[in-house]
Amino acid sequence: MLRYLLIRTAQTAFAVFVVATLIFLGLQLTGDPMENLAPQDMSEAQVEELRKAYGLDRPVYIQYLRFMGHLARGDLGISFLSGEPALKLILQRFPTTLKLVLVALFIAVLFGLPMGVAAAIRADTFTDRMLRFLSVLGISAPTFWIGIMLILIFSVNLGWLPSSGLSSWKHYLMPAFTLSLYRIALFLRMVRSTMLDVLNQDFIRTARAKGLTERVVVYKHALRNALIPFITVAGLQFGHLMAGAVVTEKIFAIPGMNRLALDALYSDDRPVIIAFIIVVAVLFAVVNLVVDLLYAIIDPRVRYA
Amino acid sequence: MKRIGIVLTFVFALAFAGGDQLVVAYQGGAVTLDPHLRNETTTLAWQHHLFETPFFFSREGKVVPVLAASIENVDPNTWILKIRSGVKFHDGSPMTAEDVAFSITRAATHPKSQMTGYVGKVSGATALDETTVEIKTKVPDPLLPAHLDHAAVVPKDYLEKVGEEGFQKHPIGTGPYKFVDWLNADHLTLVRFEDYWGSKPDFKNVVLKNIPQGATRVAGLLSGEIDIAEKVLPQDFARVERSGRAAVKQTPGIRVIYVAMDYWREYGSEGLPEGAKNPFMEPAARKAVYMAIDEAAIVKKIMGGAATVAPQFLAPVHEGYSPKIKRFPYDPEGARKILEDLGYNDKDGDGWLELPTQSGGRVPFELRIDAPNDRYLNDAQIAQAMASMLRKIGIKAEVNAVPKKVFFPNMTKGHFTLYMAGWGSTDSINTMLSMFHSKDPEGRYGRFNREHYHNPEVDALIEKAASTFDPAERNRILQQAMEIAMLQDVAYIPLHYENVIAGVAKGVDFTPRPDEYLHAFEAKKK
Repeated sequence: MLRYLLIRTAQTAFAVFVVATLIFLGLQLTGDPMENLAPQDMSEAQVEELRKAYGLDRPVYIQYLRFMGHLARGDLGISFLSGEPALKLILQRFPTTLKLVLVALFIAVLFGLPMGVAAAIRADTFTDRMLRFLSVLGISAPTFWIGIMLILIFSVNLGWLPSSGLSSWKHYLMPAFTLSLYRIALFLRMVRSTMLDVLNQDFIRTARAKGLTERVVVYKHALRNALIPFITVAGLQFGHLMAGAVVTEKIFAIPGMNRLALDALYSDDRPVIIAFIIVVAVLFAVVNLVVDLLYAIIDPRVRYA
Repeated sequence: MKRIGIVLTFVFALAFAGGDQLVVAYQGGAVTLDPHLRNETTTLAWQHHLFETPFFFSREGKVVPVLAASIENVDPNTWILKIRSGVKFHDGSPMTAEDVAFSITRAATHPKSQMTGYVGKVSGATALDETTVEIKTKVPDPLLPAHLDHAAVVPKDYLEKVGEEGFQKHPIGTGPYKFVDWLNADHLTLVRFEDYWGSKPDFKNVVLKNIPQGATRVAGLLSGEIDIAEKVLPQDFARVERSGRAAVKQTPGIRVIYVAMDYWREYGSEGLPEGAKNPFMEPAARKAVYMAIDEAAIVKKIMGGAATVAPQFLAPVHEGYSPKIKRFPYDPEGARKILEDLGYNDKDGDGWLELPTQSGGRVPFELRIDAPNDRYLNDAQIAQAMASMLRKIGIKAEVNAVPKKVFFPNMTKGHFTLYMAGWGSTDSINTMLSMFHSKDPEGRYGRFNREHYHNPEVDALIEKAASTFDPAERNRILQQAMEIAMLQDVAYIPLHYENVIAGVAKGVDFTPRPDEYLHAFEAKKK
């Protein structure tokens, strides 16, 4: 087990190195950062002074080596705009995004999982068709539109919920629901199809034949087997949400790390962009590891020796 | 049900906006609270609550003393500044000449200072006694008092004690509000500074918020969570006014939306058919495009009244604004005639004017209009409207509207023939030097003159104005330069000034400033 963890950690470190290199080189292709960084009031000579202060006057390979040297020590540089460490700016906002995403995932599992099971055991009945129809709506409705509609209904017309920020439990309802809608639909469809697969297998027939109640067959035998792909997908969705809640964070003015990264992208604040991507890469690696470990708990056949 | 809704709205309104608190929603947020590190409107607007400068601009565009009591120019490179007495920092310590000298020097010489466009000519400032600061410049700067509007005063001892990062955790200035809490680029919470030297603001508690989405800002305004929302979009005007809870307030701004044309490549300009001659080398052709644009219609139909027709590049509050410069009248027939007289007529009778090519042939007058689609209010729609107006006079115009991230680098590289952009600066000399002065090898002038507009007479006038100390004389020289550039050379086609727009809740009295700085301390209770 320890050996397994060590290997995974080494893999993650290598992935971060590759990702950092790619993003560093990719950013070189986006043009001159001074275009966005330097205010229009400065003369060209003054812009060059500023370029020097940011260390952007050096040849790219020197910049790269310096950047990698700092990265190895866990230093992701100072934000061009704020003068504060880039990693600190991202981590300052990390918990906000994390809380929002956890609430959204909780809602998605809470609704998506039972609805998927219900659709599977009542396959091709009215309930099933209705749920599948709703899930198409959930998958195709754009986040942007849902968010704005929720604000118009619950903030402007009814005045029940605050439209922006994330300071009380009430603030979480609309953005978390906006984020979870797609996932509810996704989980529903996914659980339904894997449940149907499992329910048609031999061991289920055996379980039924040996006289187990339908309840035990569905929840103890079938669902447990259907959960493995579900956990993979849920884990990936967690990662996607952490790095992809940008529209929701923007609409509801939530101080999450995605919005910070978007602003950094617009103003070419490269240290912040890189810090964000590295944090996300590490996060994905951790989520994958957790998912793999969960397999072992759910499926006794899986062992990491 | 509806009644519950109303009651709850009322409760929310009290909880969020009521009493002594003012909540202001911006389209962006301050990215730093170090006042010399980032020169960008929203960042500075937030900082203005905490920090003040020796001089600042009034709403009318006049330079007024703030932390300075007076300033005197003893020789071209030396200024003597007397500081205002009785000013205290938020920690209770008095502001001294030492602090002011330190701050001006820092703004001018800090390696990452973005204020050098204003105070970059300063070589250093020293305190002569308790109330006197001597400022030395490298080259004469007649506009130094105005340029000190970007030299926020910070407490020297405190900054040196806590360091630059520590200062951002708890910044201290002399402004009307004290720091309480902030999250970078998200919100800044403030409380009134009771020992403030000037007239104290009406609201005790202020929260400045970054709410990037226009629809969310309006929703917050209508639900009572927000008292002032900047940049309300024209499509939301009616909804705000109808709500009975807020009103839309507008002021003509200093940002001009303009059209620029390539006049440095006779052949090979990238927005024209391959090999075609670039007609915009001639002022007459530029004037023809000018006359073909129905700006009144753009302001009315596309901007929904959220803009003001611009007769020239500078705004009325600017130094150098000349009342003599009027718009060329909208006259599509006249415009077409000018182009035909220049030889760009329609010989094959297909309805489109033609351009001669380098090889002696003729091609249809196709023109790509470049514009950003996410930078200025309704930018892509304005470009579309211009394209259809140009098509009316026989120019086959198409619009290429792209995100600003793509647009501006291409603009710098000179990939455009005719494009739309915006410009906003409080400082006319800076505008003239960077947009109208021809480029020089040392990189002092013409940083944004991408079209290579070049008129030695205008260059000379701009340089003369930049070294003229008498304000009336300087104004006259700038007017003269502008008259040549706009009327004779048609250097740029001004379209409109974007209005500065704010949605303001019923209980608050507030009108936005032309320079786009939104200050909570300028809001009054009704």
